[in-house]
Amino acid sequence: MATLDRSRIRDLMGEVLAARGGTLPADESTELRSLGFRSLDFSELALRVEDETGTELNFDAPGLRRIATVGDVLDFLQDLQAA
Amino acid sequence: MADLPGDRNRVVVDGDVTTWAELRASALPDPAAVLGTSRQALAAVRTHVDAGTELLVAASGRVDEDMRDELRGDGFHVVTDAGTSAPTCPREPEPGRLWILTSGSTGRPKRIGHTLGTLTTIGRRQPPRVWLCPYSPGTYAWWQLVTLSLTQPGQDLVAVDAGQLDEWPRLAAEYGVTAVSGTPTFWRQALFRHGADLAKVPLVQVTLGGEPVDQPILDRLRETFPAARVSWIYASSEVGAAVVVHDGRAGFPREWLDHAAPGRPLLSVDGHELVVRSPHHGATLDGPVRTGDRVEVTADRVLIIGRRGSDEINVGGAKISAGVVRDVLHAHPAVAWARVRARRAPIVGQVVVADVVADPSVADADIARWAAERLPEYGVPRRLTRLAEIPVKETLKTDVG
Repeated sequence: MATLDRSRIRDLMGEVLAARGGTLPADESTELRSLGFRSLDFSELALRVEDETGTELNFDAPGLRRIATVGDVLDFLQDLQAA
Repeated sequence: MADLPGDRNRVVVDGDVTTWAELRASALPDPAAVLGTSRQALAAVRTHVDAGTELLVAASGRVDEDMRDELRGDGFHVVTDAGTSAPTCPREPEPGRLWILTSGSTGRPKRIGHTLGTLTTIGRRQPPRVWLCPYSPGTYAWWQLVTLSLTQPGQDLVAVDAGQLDEWPRLAAEYGVTAVSGTPTFWRQALFRHGADLAKVPLVQVTLGGEPVDQPILDRLRETFPAARVSWIYASSEVGAAVVVHDGRAGFPREWLDHAAPGRPLLSVDGHELVVRSPHHGATLDGPVRTGDRVEVTADRVLIIGRRGSDEINVGGAKISAGVVRDVLHAHPAVAWARVRARRAPIVGQVVVADVVADPSVADADIARWAAERLPEYGVPRRLTRLAEIPVKETLKTDVG
């Protein structure tokens, strides 16, 4: 199964933010709230990962967790690909 | 043999110019399911008029092996190019009965019983026209043009099979077509493929039906064919032709709701669903029929948005109609066609995504911005997939949205 590395997921996250007129900071501890990165943006990012890998992600696999920072998003999507 | 007012009308099929009278074929088995080309279907219909044969016609591609077996089990002789297969459960035919298959857009096609009388919905004398018929044989819209041509003099018919659809403007010019009826998807494809060349076909009548009709497609057709009357029809196999609108606007006037008139369908809305009691209904469908089509009632119009249930996308608890999103995309000047659907996504459950056929010089971001300016945030398509061509099913419809 094709997977995207953390750097590529970061690029895609930057594209999602750019489409809303935002930019992705280098600091992974940046709060999503401060970026205006919301549930729909997170969903779009997951779809972009799916489209790029050609694989459907199992969104239920990693279980619920707190996703509050840029790093949390990247962790979650990396875990999702491994699930 | 019965003579019909349309017997001398010209019928063009497979490049052959003939008439209804000349299309009379040798006797059909009874009941018969004729699965074939336009020529075979038209000849079968003319034979039905003479003999009262119980008949179902359909393009062979619309009826798979399972359904053929089902038809034989229901007493039909299945007539194809390969020959005639006898029924597995023979029965007495029902004289005068015609069957049509629903388009199957909501699942497996089902049979609706009609007669030539219930399928003939245009009773008022029409001005002479040469109709192009791009519909698949046996569909409700196909029957509308066929019965018009059979029952009124001066209504010629140019039948186009699926394989000729791409070149219909050339055929229209060659045979002097003055009126064309097609689905919105058919018209979008025509505008996308042929653009300004379409204007060379001197149409006086442009008709749309079979799918929800939005204002942008009406406007584009009016611009392309300024001399034509642009009409749209709401019809279905179950309730027949229930709404005919000629004013160039999407939807129908609100005052038509709950307005009873002899011989006219009674239209009402129940829970955002269109309900029709029609004199043109199919057999066993007497009384109010819930159409399954979702409507939006505005100050002066009733807009038909799309199918109930399948039309609704639930984005984290906020619901948006795929038809509403589709209409916004269709209104973008560079978008020739759009299909809107739900896609599974984390956190919100579903998001809105869209397939579009659009001018390649226009960026996705431009289309997304257009949508964002006109829709709530949860209704903006989060992924746009560009298609090179408009996908058209044999029924001339788009399969989703």
